Amino acid sequence: MTWHGLTIAGYLLVVAGIVVLQLLATKTAVPVPSFGELLTRAMRSRTGRVGVLVAWAWIGLHFFAR
Amino acid sequence: MVWILLAIAFFTSISGKPVDGVLMLIVAVGLAWDAGRRALRHPEAEDAPVPSRTAARPGGRRRFVVIALLAGGVVFAGVVGSFSRYSWPATAGILGLGTVVVLIGWHGPVRARPDGGRLPVAGTLAWVVVLVTGCLWELYALLQQPSLTTDSYAHPTISTLTDPLLATSPGRSVLLLAWVALGWYLVER
Repeated sequence: MTWHGLTIAGYLLVVAGIVVLQLLATKTAVPVPSFGELLTRAMRSRTGRVGVLVAWAWIGLHFFAR
Repeated sequence: MVWILLAIAFFTSISGKPVDGVLMLIVAVGLAWDAGRRALRHPEAEDAPVPSRTAARPGGRRRFVVIALLAGGVVFAGVVGSFSRYSWPATAGILGLGTVVVLIGWHGPVRARPDGGRLPVAGTLAWVVVLVTGCLWELYALLQQPSLTTDSYAHPTISTLTDPLLATSPGRSVLLLAWVALGWYLVER
């Protein structure tokens, strides 16, 4: 496998991990929080809230803005 | 958090993204000012949970707001997506909406939500492991590039992988719509 393929496989593995955890959280009784619950908890404090919102704004700037 | 934002402001500015840097700097200063102001008024509540500002809206009004925001989001994604990447009109659109959403969300969720309580430790740790692994994998790919501003075919970053999609106007509009929807979702958290 080339480095290109290996790098993409790494990203796909992370995405698969996210999907598996979300399914465990929403479809089973395994004690795993959903991604939404994780965000809600992170955004309970002012600092966490602003941090998450700024991260969102940064994604838009990174991909589209100069 | 303020120090992290200041570090991001510095590194994004020196890597050729001054707009990102200025935004991070403004938010860092705003956060420090807000924390200082609240600490002076209520020293015990320096980083207390943020309250919801409004009760849940009645069904009819909520439906109207959802439809209006959906239409606005589609128009925004269509218009801004029609401009080329890194152009000044696209920058102004993203910067404007980003600022509005951060300001709306700053003081708390826009509608009442249940607290959620404590999260299971092991399950939360599993999320942290997966998300940190993703960040480190992206960082590894970035550091394997010839330079911070030169892409590598062998070690593509997420930005490099999305370039073909973002090269077309419909592709940009679809991703912008997803970005707007995520922002909407976050201000309600």
